[in-house]
Amino acid sequence: MTTGGVTTGGVTTGGVTTGGVTRPPDPALPRLLLVECPGLEAPDEDDGGEHLRRFGRVVEALSSVCPWVDAVRPGVCTLPIKGPTRYFGTEEAVVAQVAETVAAALDLNGGVPDGDVRLGVAEGVFAAVLAAGTGMVVPAGETGRFLAPWPVDVLGDPELAGVLVRLGLSTLGRFAAVPAADVLARFGASGVRGHRIARGLDGELPGYRVAGMGARVVAALGRALALQDRQPEFWGGASAADERAGEALTALQRRLGTEAVLVPVLEGGRGPADRCRLVPWSPTAAAPEQKTKAQRRKAPKAPSEPPWPGRLPPPAPAQVTAGHRLIEVELVDAAGVPVVVTARGLLTEEPARLSVGGGPWTPVAAWSAPWPVEERWWSRARRRAARLQVLTTDGAARLLVTERGRWRIEAAYD
Amino acid sequence: MVCEHMFVPSSTPRLQRLAERVRPTAASRTCLLPVLPPIAALLPDGGLRRGTVVRCAGEGAPSLAMAVAAGPSAAGSWCGMVGLDEVGVLAAAGYGLDLDRLVVVHAAPAEWAVAAAVLVDGIDLVVLAPPRYARPAAARTLAARARDRDAVVLVVGERPGFPAELELAVETARWHGLAEGAGRLQSRRVTVVARGRGSAVRPVRQELWLPTATGKVAAA
Repeated sequence: MTTGGVTTGGVTTGGVTTGGVTRPPDPALPRLLLVECPGLEAPDEDDGGEHLRRFGRVVEALSSVCPWVDAVRPGVCTLPIKGPTRYFGTEEAVVAQVAETVAAALDLNGGVPDGDVRLGVAEGVFAAVLAAGTGMVVPAGETGRFLAPWPVDVLGDPELAGVLVRLGLSTLGRFAAVPAADVLARFGASGVRGHRIARGLDGELPGYRVAGMGARVVAALGRALALQDRQPEFWGGASAADERAGEALTALQRRLGTEAVLVPVLEGGRGPADRCRLVPWSPTAAAPEQKTKAQRRKAPKAPSEPPWPGRLPPPAPAQVTAGHRLIEVELVDAAGVPVVVTARGLLTEEPARLSVGGGPWTPVAAWSAPWPVEERWWSRARRRAARLQVLTTDGAARLLVTERGRWRIEAAYD
Repeated sequence: MVCEHMFVPSSTPRLQRLAERVRPTAASRTCLLPVLPPIAALLPDGGLRRGTVVRCAGEGAPSLAMAVAAGPSAAGSWCGMVGLDEVGVLAAAGYGLDLDRLVVVHAAPAEWAVAAAVLVDGIDLVVLAPPRYARPAAARTLAARARDRDAVVLVVGERPGFPAELELAVETARWHGLAEGAGRLQSRRVTVVARGRGSAVRPVRQELWLPTATGKVAAA
């Protein structure tokens, strides 16, 4: 077991394989300047929103330093320090500017002093809160070393802390050195969350952030602010919604089995069923907060130009049948002769009627030209396949696939 | 004051209907899940009221449900699907669902109620295609649970036994772009009618592209 100074903060690991899915490396956590006004943390029910209004003025004033102020919870906000540093020259200059701005914003409102203001700089909200407690600017990349000596109590779960301390894992650094694979079984979900914090993989503990703070601040001020409710994923923290969802999904997997609770993974492929795979949800793999904005942008979100054979174009079908469950259909011309795709990829007859799974005939209203399935696949499998969109008069639009004279439904445009 | 969180569902349908009618709408208006603009025009509150059941029916009901779910999903809500084992995830992404917060539950037909109930506990939005023989009692239990947990259940398909505050029904649908042996399915123009209780007594009609040529939803 390693002691004290394990450096893990901001360290990116290689691709992580979870349940057969390779994830990209975890991005480094954003470097944040955190502003904490302890005097403004009181619940706003007590004073008709006055605390929230005062906090709003602080946030508003700070947005002159940086437009990306994130109101995390009453009395606590952060801003990414990288951008302002480029403008002000050094991080120290930004901290000084922010200190001055906050002081001015609070003084302007006169009367009762709001107590001290704490500032801290570190990677991730969790570390920045600890840094603010001692007024520290943690050097870039040193957040792991900074976190390591802190007692595990700071994870905010006394029960977990008790267990860890009994095992001699009394500091975040020692806890971080425990192999991730052992953590879930030994310390449960709360252990996994704390472990990810200790390793610098997550930036904030679920439950710390108060949802909708940006909107509440705007409401309290009664005027528009150049401020958006930041999505937690920008900041490397799990939102309360993700936390609640995670608990429900874990419970559901216990009830129905791991394989019953699935999340989508997009990948390249020939047909609609190949382009997206559903894989069992896992508490660590399915953490949306780990993705940076840049990664999201790169993710193949919209089915714009799928690399399907013959480039089956968008829009994508609303229902896609898995390979082994394809339903057979009969497609015939007006005389009842089965429609076949020729070797040159043409239809032998004009489709007139369609019967699904031996059911009643429905007249065909329109159909596409056949899309031949990728050539290489043909030759390797020594078979000829093609896709055809067919619209019947009842309004049902389907994607059929034909092979060796058999037609089956691959997808439906419900 | 009667508040929806304090409302205990009665086993008597008539009492329940009455209770639903006296539930204050002004208070519930503050807890709406946001929807995409073309969908907002259909909803009496301009968003999905938490704690309610909304039915999507008619041709293209699965697509309509995805388009309705896209707004909350894009705004950060998790979306869970039950009974839609073969959902086209690419289509869902096209409508705007955030795939990072989408979970598809493959439950056996007999387990739909369990699956939906557990999801409702932790997820804002559950899209549910219950089996045709779903017991009305189980449906009412789920509706009460959704109300209690401030979740929204979107029921896909005609399920008369399912109590729904609002029904969004595709009345007419017409595909564009496909001809006899030429073209391709490009876009579908639909008329959706919203019928409901309370603030949605008067039916509202909206023409939509569901989907557009790029797989989105748009007002027609």
